[in-house]
Amino acid sequence: MVNSELAEISDFIKDIPPFDNLSAEGIGQLVKSIHIEYVRPGHVMPPDEEAHLYILRKGALAYFNHDNELLSKYSEGDMCSVFLFPDDAASIRVEVEEDTLLYAIPKDLLMTAIEESTEATGFFRQTAAQRLQNRMQKHNEGAVISSTLSNALVADFYHGPAATVDSGDSIQVTAMRMNELGYSCMVVTEAGNMVGIVTDKDIRRRCVAIGLDIHAPVAEIMTTDVVTLDVNQSAYDALITMTSSRAHHLPVTDAGELTGVVTVTDMLNQEGDNAINLVHLIRKAKSIEELVRLSAMLPRLQIRMARLGTLAEHAGKSISAITTALTKRLIQLAEADLGSAPVPYAWLAAGSQARQEQFAHSDQDNAIIIHDDMQPEDDAWFKALAKFVNDGLHACGFVYCPGDVMASNDKWRQTKSVWHQYFSQWVDTPKPKALLYSSIFFDLATIHGDASLLGEVRERMLSKTVTNTLFIAHLSRNALSFKPPLGFFRDFVLVESGDNEKALDLKHNGITPIVDLARIYALQEGVSAVNTVERLKQVAGTPSLTQASARNLIDAFEFLGHLRLVHQADLLQAGKEPSNFMNPKSISKLEREHLKDAFKVIKTLQSNRQVTY
Amino acid sequence: MIAQVLPKALLSMDKRRRLCLLKAPAGSAMHDYLSTPLPNKDATIARTNILSLDFETTGLNVNNDQLLSIGCVDMSHGKIKLASGYHQVIRTHGNLCKTNVAIHQITDAEKEQGAELQHAIDDLLRLMAGKVLLVHYAKIERNFLTQACKRIYGFVPPFLMIDTLAIIKRRLDKSDMPYDPSKLRLVNQRSSFGLPSYHAHNALKDAIATAELLQAELQTHHKGLSTKLRKLL
Repeated sequence: MVNSELAEISDFIKDIPPFDNLSAEGIGQLVKSIHIEYVRPGHVMPPDEEAHLYILRKGALAYFNHDNELLSKYSEGDMCSVFLFPDDAASIRVEVEEDTLLYAIPKDLLMTAIEESTEATGFFRQTAAQRLQNRMQKHNEGAVISSTLSNALVADFYHGPAATVDSGDSIQVTAMRMNELGYSCMVVTEAGNMVGIVTDKDIRRRCVAIGLDIHAPVAEIMTTDVVTLDVNQSAYDALITMTSSRAHHLPVTDAGELTGVVTVTDMLNQEGDNAINLVHLIRKAKSIEELVRLSAMLPRLQIRMARLGTLAEHAGKSISAITTALTKRLIQLAEADLGSAPVPYAWLAAGSQARQEQFAHSDQDNAIIIHDDMQPEDDAWFKALAKFVNDGLHACGFVYCPGDVMASNDKWRQTKSVWHQYFSQWVDTPKPKALLYSSIFFDLATIHGDASLLGEVRERMLSKTVTNTLFIAHLSRNALSFKPPLGFFRDFVLVESGDNEKALDLKHNGITPIVDLARIYALQEGVSAVNTVERLKQVAGTPSLTQASARNLIDAFEFLGHLRLVHQADLLQAGKEPSNFMNPKSISKLEREHLKDAFKVIKTLQSNRQVTY
Repeated sequence: MIAQVLPKALLSMDKRRRLCLLKAPAGSAMHDYLSTPLPNKDATIARTNILSLDFETTGLNVNNDQLLSIGCVDMSHGKIKLASGYHQVIRTHGNLCKTNVAIHQITDAEKEQGAELQHAIDDLLRLMAGKVLLVHYAKIERNFLTQACKRIYGFVPPFLMIDTLAIIKRRLDKSDMPYDPSKLRLVNQRSSFGLPSYHAHNALKDAIATAELLQAELQTHHKGLSTKLRKLL
């Protein structure tokens, strides 16, 4: 049989995705449909009239757009599939850069040969964005299977029905029912409606300890401002709600109706050695030393999440929830030492922690916003707090911010009015320095204290950004300076300047451009969310961004985040500092294809932006 | 009758083919080959059907050695059509010598499964119909094909042959630069054009390798596919 004589060509073809999905028969059929062509620099591509796929056996091709901008380069083992799609081909010019030996496969024969594989047929029927979406869909499905917590819904682990008492029932009756049921928490109702929640701790602190009559109505000791969860929220939402409200019990509602309760224990049972467990331990820590010891578990947790196939979005949220817990605990320890704050304030996280996209070993970015009633002498208290928390975070592995964006810097420890002024200045007269801060301070979240302080500042800021096109224009121009590479060429990362680099900077070349785009869309549309995926979801379908583009950016963001999570887990496991620099050789050929697809998505939206501004 | 007194070389190729056709048994592969017109020498390569051919033999001496395998592939419009790839091992007589087996990697067992010489040559003649042959170093293919035709049909039909080695040699000889004759070998020529390396000494692979070499040579040193066939013979 001729096939064995063509083994070298078969071997070459079967290593190229998506042909690695084909059987030996499929490959054999494909090889037989090849004709070999030789093209030289100056030749017009394609050499055939009918639609063909070209596989580069040797040599190099370059793609250009209408503006003569280099889009990407292809070399040995790459495919030139653009001529399979007449619409794509119309917008791209392909030049022969070196003497090139091509394996040409007519489209109809290609489709017949790969018929057996849905992966392969899917590959050639889709654009870059569609392929990436498929890749992420598969990844998401994998995450559901491999990780329990990351995709579990509250519905999966709450227990119901909720044990209730009437608000008129006595404290003693309540305690007896709790004994009976073995519950540490009861929901208090009035005419069937939830009005509060009462726990073991409430009975101890608000009744027994102060000698309140045990026959008094339970309404007297219940907590009334109850945060609830919906059954359709994820376990991560539950984790974050528990962290921020510092509640160990949360009533669960289904379509607004009380159906049960979720406790910290439920979540701990859900997954043993996990983020919630760590958050729980952090909350109980008595000293900085203990917090330092607990923080040392973060890298391990990150490795575990990467290995479990956790979505980067969820990993970022978990790590951020831990940093948040750590920060809160440090503030509590400081307050225990310094006494309570002279005026209301809020501790703010900036940058990746605020966006809930933080990974282990990040540096810290934070600030304090203080009530306008503050007197000059009050600053000593806040300064001491800032120093304690900044030092504590540093000791826990979140090193001092190299740009000194920390609450210990006088500039970033100011009253609400000053923060109003800051934002007015940045938005009204966008100077380079202001734009530099924008990536940090337009992503803020309240970690501790009075959330209304930041709420007001943000509201006023957003009302300015939606109307200030000059600011958005400056911000856009600034954001476009981080560009994705064109792709890979041989073993190099191909960059626009023409200098090729050995390693790919996942953060600056991939993740940052998406974060920046999402921020611009959010500021333009007055969206207050700070999490990148959340921002993209909320601006989807507005004049700033179509639904489809939002979907594509989210897929690209998740894919890049996933690569980074796994890459850093590899480094952490090898006992190295996690970095964002990745050698493209270290990932599979297929992943490299997906990476190229992700870059294409970013480039498309960046150039849309360039056209608009 | 004039034909018999004139030296063969002076007869036009068409006439020689017509004379041979008279001797070829009707319906035979030889008859098919001779009754299909060969490509016009003034046509461009783009319009010429080419059959790239390689033989593996037990040695270089046509009188003592035997044809071991035949590999060939079509090239038309300058494109090598892998679907047309043909490879046939021939059942030779006697045992193969060890050093030889190491080169072409055809074992005695495989050889025993092979086709009779006549069967393989008839396949080849049918594939050759209407095409110019392409080889690297014409001597081997020409001598062994001549020998086989003599043995089977009792006469030798004319062949049109492009020899990449001869083409490259002519080009190199024109320049004053001395060169090592080993530079002309297929594998060395391919690497000088930056063509990928193959595992050599399989007849079909070498036929493909030779066709790729012709593509590179034409595009680099001639007028590409607009080169006239005549210039290459």
